[in-house]
Amino acid sequence: MTTDNDNLRTRIQQAIQSQKRPTITVLSSLLAIQDSIGHIPEIAIEEVAVHSNTSINSVFGVASFYPNFRFTPPGEHSVEVCWGPTCHLKGATEILESVLEKLGLDSEGDTDDGKVSFRFNTCLGACSQAPVISVNHELYGNASPDIVPNLLVSLYEKENLHQ
Amino acid sequence: MSDKVNLTIDGVEIQAEPGSMIIQAAMDNEMYIPYLCYYPGMKPYGACRMCVVKAEAPTPDGSYRALPGSPASCTTPISEGMRVETNTGDLVGLRKGIMELLISEHPHGCLNCHRVELCGPTDVCLRHVSVNDRCVTCPKNERCELKDTVRYMEMELTTPLTYNNRHLPLEVKDPYWDMDMNLCIVCSRCVRACDEVRGDQAITLKDRSGRSIIGTAAGTSLLESGCEFCGACIDVCPTGAIVERDYKWDKAVQKVATTCPHCPVGCQLDLDVNKRNKVVRSIPNRQAEANMGMACFKGKFGLDFVNNKNKLKKPMVRKNSELEEVTWPEALDFVASKLENHKNGDYALIASARGTNEDNFAAQKFARRVMKSNNVNVSSNSRPKLVDSLQDLIGDDCASNKIWELLDSQVILLVSANITEEQNVASVPIKQAVAKGAKLIVIDQRETELTRYATKWIRPLINSEPVLIGGILRSIVDQSLEDHDFATEKCEGYDEFRNSLWDFDLVKVSAQTGISQEEIREMAQIFANTEASSILYGLETISDTHIDDTVKSLVNLSLITGNLGKNSGGIYPLFSGANQQGSRDVGCVPNLLPGHRPTASPGIDLTEISEACSSGAIKALHLIGDELFHNTANRSGFLDKIKATDLLIVHQSFASEVTDIADVVLPSALFTEKTGTYTNMEGRIHRLRPALGPVGDEDEDWRILSQIAARLGSDDLSYSSSHDVLIEIINEVETYKTLEPDSLDSQGHIRKPILNSSYVFSPIEFTQREEPSVDDQYPMVFAPGRVLFDADRDAGIVTENDLNTITRREIIEMNEEDAKKAGISEGDVIKILGEEFELTGNAHLNGLHSGMVATTTLFGTLIESLNNSTEPDPMAKIEGLRLCKVRVEKV
Repeated sequence: MTTDNDNLRTRIQQAIQSQKRPTITVLSSLLAIQDSIGHIPEIAIEEVAVHSNTSINSVFGVASFYPNFRFTPPGEHSVEVCWGPTCHLKGATEILESVLEKLGLDSEGDTDDGKVSFRFNTCLGACSQAPVISVNHELYGNASPDIVPNLLVSLYEKENLHQ
Repeated sequence: MSDKVNLTIDGVEIQAEPGSMIIQAAMDNEMYIPYLCYYPGMKPYGACRMCVVKAEAPTPDGSYRALPGSPASCTTPISEGMRVETNTGDLVGLRKGIMELLISEHPHGCLNCHRVELCGPTDVCLRHVSVNDRCVTCPKNERCELKDTVRYMEMELTTPLTYNNRHLPLEVKDPYWDMDMNLCIVCSRCVRACDEVRGDQAITLKDRSGRSIIGTAAGTSLLESGCEFCGACIDVCPTGAIVERDYKWDKAVQKVATTCPHCPVGCQLDLDVNKRNKVVRSIPNRQAEANMGMACFKGKFGLDFVNNKNKLKKPMVRKNSELEEVTWPEALDFVASKLENHKNGDYALIASARGTNEDNFAAQKFARRVMKSNNVNVSSNSRPKLVDSLQDLIGDDCASNKIWELLDSQVILLVSANITEEQNVASVPIKQAVAKGAKLIVIDQRETELTRYATKWIRPLINSEPVLIGGILRSIVDQSLEDHDFATEKCEGYDEFRNSLWDFDLVKVSAQTGISQEEIREMAQIFANTEASSILYGLETISDTHIDDTVKSLVNLSLITGNLGKNSGGIYPLFSGANQQGSRDVGCVPNLLPGHRPTASPGIDLTEISEACSSGAIKALHLIGDELFHNTANRSGFLDKIKATDLLIVHQSFASEVTDIADVVLPSALFTEKTGTYTNMEGRIHRLRPALGPVGDEDEDWRILSQIAARLGSDDLSYSSSHDVLIEIINEVETYKTLEPDSLDSQGHIRKPILNSSYVFSPIEFTQREEPSVDDQYPMVFAPGRVLFDADRDAGIVTENDLNTITRREIIEMNEEDAKKAGISEGDVIKILGEEFELTGNAHLNGLHSGMVATTTLFGTLIESLNNSTEPDPMAKIEGLRLCKVRVEKV
């Protein structure tokens, strides 16, 4: 039981220590951990505090300030819908609604089965292809609500393939 | 003074300190600008925007340039010739708008209820305002800065009964206080007080923008977040968001400024007294130079014992083996008739560590003049050697510098003292100094709270501290880091002392202490290479035989680096007991008469008194005060021994194991019922003022003694008030000559130091360290520590019988070799057994010295056990963290 925890702690310590930058800050350490583990677990807050010689509370204050840090493990797949101005004009709202409906969510968040993490994105940088949807960081341009069911189903199928 | 800055605020020309902010300049000149997030003594923050002003500053061509917009006066520094407007129509409108935003998330039924002017104190409010909004449901009602500010601005609050309620649950998990974040206006004062002022960072501002709120990391309890329960956040909170839990709703009818009776810092506290004659709150005085608005868990939450109903109210005399209540004359007659037979030296008196200078002066005079005995002591004087040599070598026996000078020390050396617990407020300037860049060296086997802040934490072998300091001294000389001019011109005996150092070969020192030569050299460099280095020592883990040597070495260290008599340098002995210094000054110790005059035939020491009782050398024992066991590890043994006396007279406020065996019990007044003075560790004399009236026939100790003396035919103690006693103290004690009793305010009065014409170096000797006293049954030495926060341990809070307790996996540190011998490996569950306790935890083998085990119980656990205590005065029974002998078993 402690081994799982110790394992995670070791991974966190490695993430903190393997940063290649001249100044290591609370923020840079948090970013390194999120890059390596995908989220900021509670013991990561402790480790960053010990490493930066500050208190867990100060670290948590920083971590909770930025919406990009997440404290729970992300879903296995990420789905992002762009709602930047171009995508919005080209019909991102319908895509959003469709995705939310299919995933059974009200807003940004993780599905109950922990498979998918869904987020809004302010710009995916592909305005010429608007509206855009990103699945596991793969972009699908000129999207319409019709392709959403297939895309999401394919996620679950890929899952089966891996198994 | 000419170096002040001239400026104009609202047409009034004022002068202010350069570098101050506009709001501070206004405050210093008794002008008010509304503010909520600003707090004197903390860095400007500029969050609430209530203090906006219009300002213009002169340009070189003589015209005025307006500062853009409406700057916040708490973040705008003053400049010469500046013109500031604080109350123009625009500003008033702007402020009102800001305030409306602020209270749109704060219940404000207390402001806009139409009955707000009409309600009497006993009216029951039933329907005008919804329950959450009602003025009487706010613990800070009528003590609320937010409410006062709204009223000052004369706002027309037409807002209906709706506001954006955050619907956050009330947080009641923590000891001592409740947090209702629905009342928070996110001014962040508490976060800044905890971080900037106390250096703890136990709370933080979570989340961002509209959802920002005060809390701890991931919502853990304060017990786990590193809180030291000083209550600073409560004192700065402008609303009812963070409040004390005890007497939460009680209103003060009277405020009394007095001195805290718990430790030698002598914090100045304002006590709130309610209409039922109870002390309901204590708020540290922000102007007082001893504590600068700080308090600790003891001073903030540890004063409730004065309200305890089980106080002794009547004198009692043992008749036919039962204590019976009698009248004062009867009790005093009885005491006098018995004491008559003990004027031949078989009498001893132990005065109270919480006794005032007046009480303790009367006590020593009673013992010496009336009872003809030098056996007089004070219960906190358990280690007199801590200051005896200090007095011999530098003249005075108290801290050479003021507590808050530590703030500007560049290096602070702390030798074996758990200051956060014993003299808490003195740790605040240390932490602030460290935050400013000062270096802290902690020499201690135990992990204490300050080891977390330490630049260097040195754990020498037990009892090797004097040799270690000797090694540092030698290294200073070797590296030519000494202040030669100071050492030869201002001090005596330098050459002789220097010669004595040749014995301290670093190879030998290193072998003796277990500390490497490099570390010793580095410590010497750190300590000597500064403008101002100070030394604090408690020597709590050093056996009595080594205390004297250690003190001498430390004085030498301070002298050789020229740090005595220097600002922010100096040397601070750390003893316990609120009035230990005063007791020594007024001669309530066996070896000194009032005014530090040595006596020809010193009485017996506190450590010898129990033996003297059981051997029959002492036949009559007079005990004053409840905290007798302050430093007595073995209380049952002590009680058995003093039982052997023929006459045991106790002055106490509460019934205890001691009153159970006493022949006469005289009810003694508590510190809240007394007039008198305390002298703190820096020699500052503070006043005690009565906050509560007596509930029974209890009386002040000096008066009780004076009445007994009169019955014994002596007029030596014929005083009519404590003021008379103080006048006599001033006449007899040289260092108190400058004290003017009538002008004694919360700043106190620093007593005149006793100055030697020159300081004295004392040659030191390389002594083999004494092995710690262990035996076959208990072969190991246990070093308990107490810290605030330890991330390595899983903790949980269990709620049981409506009480929260914290559970945590204990980690017991051990030496690898010792563990191997006992068949223990990393992570095993082991048990340590001492004479009076046992502790179970997981073994952690981390290179501790052989023969030792160490653990860190958490400060939070201590707070928890105090919070749940049902004893009248649990504070008096906090065990110090001393080394003790144990054995280790594998479970």
